[in-house]
Formats: sequence, C-alpha cells, structure tokens
Amino acid sequence: MIDLVGGVPLFVLEFGDELVYFTPYTITLFLLALTFTVLVLISRPERQIDIAFGSDAYRAKEISVDEMRFRRLMAIACGLATMGAMVTGDIFNFTLFTAMVGITNVGIVAAVKSKHVQDAAYQYGLVALAATVPLFAGAAIYAAVTGSLSMIELMKGTVPAVPLIAKGMLVLGVIGEGMAPFYAAKAEMFRAPGAPYVIMCSLSSLLIFLRVVEIVMLG
Amino acid sequence: MWEQYSYGILVVMVAGVIAFLALARERDDLHKLLLLDLVEIVGLGMIALLGTDLAEALILPGLTVGIAELLALSQIYCTKEGIRDRPVRGLNIEVIAKADAPLILSIFLVAYGMVLSGFTGGGVAGLGLVFLFISRTYREDLNLLEMASGISWALWIFAFFVFMFLPQYWFVALMGAAIGILLKVTVKMSLVGTMWGEQHD
Repeated sequence: MIDLVGGVPLFVLEFGDELVYFTPYTITLFLLALTFTVLVLISRPERQIDIAFGSDAYRAKEISVDEMRFRRLMAIACGLATMGAMVTGDIFNFTLFTAMVGITNVGIVAAVKSKHVQDAAYQYGLVALAATVPLFAGAAIYAAVTGSLSMIELMKGTVPAVPLIAKGMLVLGVIGEGMAPFYAAKAEMFRAPGAPYVIMCSLSSLLIFLRVVEIVMLG
Repeated sequence: MWEQYSYGILVVMVAGVIAFLALARERDDLHKLLLLDLVEIVGLGMIALLGTDLAEALILPGLTVGIAELLALSQIYCTKEGIRDRPVRGLNIEVIAKADAPLILSIFLVAYGMVLSGFTGGGVAGLGLVFLFISRTYREDLNLLEMASGISWALWIFAFFVFMFLPQYWFVALMGAAIGILLKVTVKMSLVGTMWGEQHD
C-alpha cells in the first residue's frame, strides 16, 4: 500500500459488483470533471465572428438551436461518463466508461454539419472503434490473470502480478479513445461555432489518461 | 485450461493482426468500418475465452458498446456522404418467397430458441422470425408485437423484483425472467427485422 499513485483510499463503497472508491487523486479528477460538467450545463453557447482582414466588415455564423442542444447533451453525457471513469473501482467498468467517453466525443465532434468536420469525426470514430478491441482485451486479461476486476483487490497485492501486455493494451485502448482533441483540432473545432462544448473533448481525454496511469500502477 | 487460454489468445491476436493489416491497406471509408466491426467481434473472443459467467456478463456490454459505435458511425457516414432515404424492402427473391423452406427453418429456429430459453434463446428464436419476415413480402400488424414486447419486458422486471423482495419464490421468478427475456428478445429482433427502412407515421 506504500507505492500507490493515488494515495490510500479514503472511502470505499461496495454495492454488489459495483465498486466505487475515492483517493485524494481521484477526488481531484472527479471534482474537475464535475466542475466542467456544471459549466457546460450553465454556459451559453458562443457565436463565431469572422472579421474580414483590413476592413471593418465582420460576419457571424448562424448555428441552429437543435445542433447546439445536441452538442450540449453530448457534452453533459461526456462529463457524466468521465465522472464515472474517475470514481469506479472496477477495471471493466472503467473500460466501459472510457468507451462511452469515446462515443460521446464522436457525438460532440459530429454534431457540426460541415463536410470536413464530419470527415474528421468519422476518422476519429474509426480510431475509437478500433481502440475498444485492446481496451476490452486488456480488461479480459486482467480478469484472466488475477481472477478479479476489482482495483481494491489489486491494491492489496495478494493477487498475481498483472502481465505487461494487459497494461499495455489498456493504455493503448485509452489512447485510442482519448484521441478526440487531435481530431477536433484537425477539424478546427476549437474555433468553430459553439465553442464551449468542444472543451469537454479535451478535458475528458486528459482525465482518462490521468486515471489510467493510476490503474496501470496498481497491480 | 491455462494452456488452452494461451493458444486461444494467440489465435485471436493473429486474427487481429491480419484484420489490422487489411485495415491499413484499405482506403474506402465504408470498408474500413466493416473491417473494424470484424476486428471487434474477434476481439470479443478474447473475453469469451475466459469461459466463465463473468465473461458472459462482460461480453454483452462489450457487444452493446460496439453496436452503439457502429450505429453512430454509420449515421455519420450517411450524413457526410449525403445518403438519405433509401428504404430496404426485404429480400425480394422469388424462390424464397414462394417456397416452404423459410417457414420450416423458422419453426426449427424458434423451437430451438425456446429450448435454449433466456437471452440466447430469444436471439435464436428472433433470428428465425426475422428470416421468416424478410423472406415474405407481406405486411404484418406490428402493434401487437410491440405490445407483446412491452408486456414481456414488464414480466422480466417483475421477476427481478420477486428476486429482490421475495427471494423464497426464486423458482417462479427464474421462470418468469427466462420466459420474459425470451419473448422480449424474440419480439424485439423480429421488429428490427421488419421495421427497417420503413417510414413511420
């Protein structure tokens, strides 16, 4: 219990096969996700203004309310999935939440109705779909080797050591699912209309990367 | 058992490598999607190799996530390629529509599904009904099927409440849940088979 990245768990909730625990590390990440989800919930969408260079002319881009509403829904779902991934104490639940983060990120990016953004969203979706293979396979090898998916069991150090390949697969899967900011940047989403919601892509990827570090260091 | 697991993983890995190689060579977007779905099914094999109840419980969410992503990506593909409104009208093969073979096969599948019972049985029986519906061209009244699906779902949930609050009647609950999920999955699958591409009013 000495070399735990996240610190000693302060609170453990075991409800059937649902396992939730908080360490100082995951509390921080959870609060970050919660804060940004609330911000997404209350913030008002922006309108992109393009100023014509060398003159006083400018034009505002119109975005339909439906599109905005869909992206807000996806951003909130993404926040909830991220929060789930932060607090869960079960490897497989973590992979499921990560996959859900991937799907909602696809939704956030794909809500923009323009050809190049849709192309980027499709490519990202392909990467995310491919990433679910190593993600679930990694979790399956965890279960096969240790006989448990519980992170609390892994912490105790009584189960057999997790092979490097399982950890590698888990990390590979998370990298694939967390590729959203790359594709969002590729599609110039951060300048695109309706900016506040796209930040959820970056935040969720960052948080799942940080969490998987803790998980990989456990067993 | 451990030996077999390792061999199984080796086979899955080889299949995965082949599929990813194919993916790297493929240039068409739609084919990429299809190949990825193929890879994912193979990848689920790695969970299935565990061969325990836990594995069965893990495959279902894995499959669901895969289907969700597949649906989302298909929708994006349709939007970005500007494909819309192309209803599918079943298998218009005259030989199949006229012969008795679909009926016999469907009866066999439904009977086998009922023997299997539960989720798997529902899947098999539903497949039989889907096959029957797509090989015939006539229209059914779907409202009845939808109602049956709802009622069997309620039965399934009710059985779970019996499990939770009246555990001494577990056998009744078990039977209720098994029959409920069998009917539910069967009906849902046959609805999926008949309702695709149709305009709802």
